[in-house]
Amino acid sequence: MIVKKNIPNIIFIAPAVILVVIFVYIFSGWNVWTSLTDWRIIGRMGKFIGVQNYIELFTNDDTFRMCFFNTIKLMAIFIGLTIPLGIICAIFLDLGVKGKGIFRTIYLIPLSFSFVASATMWSWMFMPDKGSINTLLRMLNLHFLTQPWITSTRQAIICVAIVYIWQFSGFATLIYYAGISSVDPNIIDAVKVDGATTFQKYSRVVIPLQKPATLTVLLILLMYSLRAFDLVWVLTGGGPAFSSEVLATYMYRVTFNQNLFAYGASISFVMFILSFIIIIIPVLIGTLKIRE
Amino acid sequence: MTRNALIYLVLIALAFFYIFPVYTLLNTSLKTDEDLKYGPVTPTHSIYFGAYIQAFNRIKKQLLNSAIIAVFATILSSVLGSMSGYIFSKFRFKGDKVIFLVLVLGFYIAPQSILIPLVIFMGKIGFFNTYYGLILTHVAYGMPITTLLFRNYYEGIPQELVDASLVDGCGTFNTYLKIFLPLSLPGFAVVGIFQFTNIWNEFLFGLTLTRGVAYQPVTVAVANLKGTTVVAWNTICAGATIATIPVVLIYIFLLKMIIKGLLMGSVKG
Repeated sequence: MIVKKNIPNIIFIAPAVILVVIFVYIFSGWNVWTSLTDWRIIGRMGKFIGVQNYIELFTNDDTFRMCFFNTIKLMAIFIGLTIPLGIICAIFLDLGVKGKGIFRTIYLIPLSFSFVASATMWSWMFMPDKGSINTLLRMLNLHFLTQPWITSTRQAIICVAIVYIWQFSGFATLIYYAGISSVDPNIIDAVKVDGATTFQKYSRVVIPLQKPATLTVLLILLMYSLRAFDLVWVLTGGGPAFSSEVLATYMYRVTFNQNLFAYGASISFVMFILSFIIIIIPVLIGTLKIRE
Repeated sequence: MTRNALIYLVLIALAFFYIFPVYTLLNTSLKTDEDLKYGPVTPTHSIYFGAYIQAFNRIKKQLLNSAIIAVFATILSSVLGSMSGYIFSKFRFKGDKVIFLVLVLGFYIAPQSILIPLVIFMGKIGFFNTYYGLILTHVAYGMPITTLLFRNYYEGIPQELVDASLVDGCGTFNTYLKIFLPLSLPGFAVVGIFQFTNIWNEFLFGLTLTRGVAYQPVTVAVANLKGTTVVAWNTICAGATIATIPVVLIYIFLLKMIIKGLLMGSVKG
């Protein structure tokens, strides 16, 4: 009887479950298997070599190490600046002046750009000689502020982070704005009765209440910065001299340009483990906490 | 009065950061080859569409490809997501919470960690470099988020409605068809827009699952346009603009639904 009752349920969720099981979980496992072989020629099976690719990766591959730290650096700059910027935008929208809807729309427009389009646009911005930023600075007689941007090994990864900030701060703004708007009006009234200034209202009461919003934003930003590929690939190509190469672009280069499939798979698995540690475990903990 | 002026000043300064790159993009795209030497900041001397015509001719096939892939993948993933979201929202069965969690967690796994098997698999089943391959891929990786969005959307429909319908003798299927589908239109709009914009903007799968222009999506075409040195910047900027226009229009005119989608997807992550 119970089984019979469950049949329609199973049919309804079957497509979603089967697709995700195959495309996410079985493929992830398949990828691990690939990473344990020496496979590098299409049409011929690889030989099982155990964790040798990982040993090579962690002990002998300077580019990998560089990519690893570049990825961390990108995450740190990107997230460290996007969250405060999102909070500031949200507060200034919340101050409720006329025409705030227009500003909100403007802040959200970057979110509609594909990474490819924004990378294309920003590589035009960042060109050292003819690019928009340096041109503008020269027009304003601020020559001393012009930078080599993406042509500098020191600045390339920062440029990538800037474009990410441009693209995602609207998302952070939106989540914080929703969070700020949903603060209990009674609390706001009580704060006003206490004679707090606007600054105190936000810094002492409203912003400390935004922990759930921060968690949401953090999770999404972590996710997108770990898988960062399109933007780096089109903006800097990982250069100059691998100074902005991240795990995702290195994995692509190794796998599809150099045909080192097994080695590429081992980089992919490192990314899988990273997404597990920094994203999936926090989500699981969060889900369990909510249920308690 | 001064307080408001100060607020506007900050709002405008922030807006400048978001708008200035877009201004240089549009400004450059409207320039003639001759006008390019004045740089991207100086306003264009003429409203010239030559660059747009050139760019359009280079990417029109890929625009069509993207439209086909995004439309079919959006429809399929929305329908399947609404079916599974309906079950996870309104029915309790053994292991439902675990299955739901396993499903949704798929959203967080970096696409790189399944990319190599995906390419091999598509080759094996003959879907490499076809519309089917890309549509199937986008539908599969869309399932976690469409399921989550519809589950959250259906939470707003009272459980009593389902229970009453089941007591009346309507099965799971008829309840879905007669009660949920008619109430789902706003949900489909939100999820559909969310999916369409994401699939239209996707690059990595398009890059790895196609060869040549026949099935290549427009994002890959724009990246190639930028990658070739023979194309002038006004054409590159025009190409990037053309590829972005559909999504920007959706954002501007359907902003409410976009916001709803983003909030619905993140509130109960």
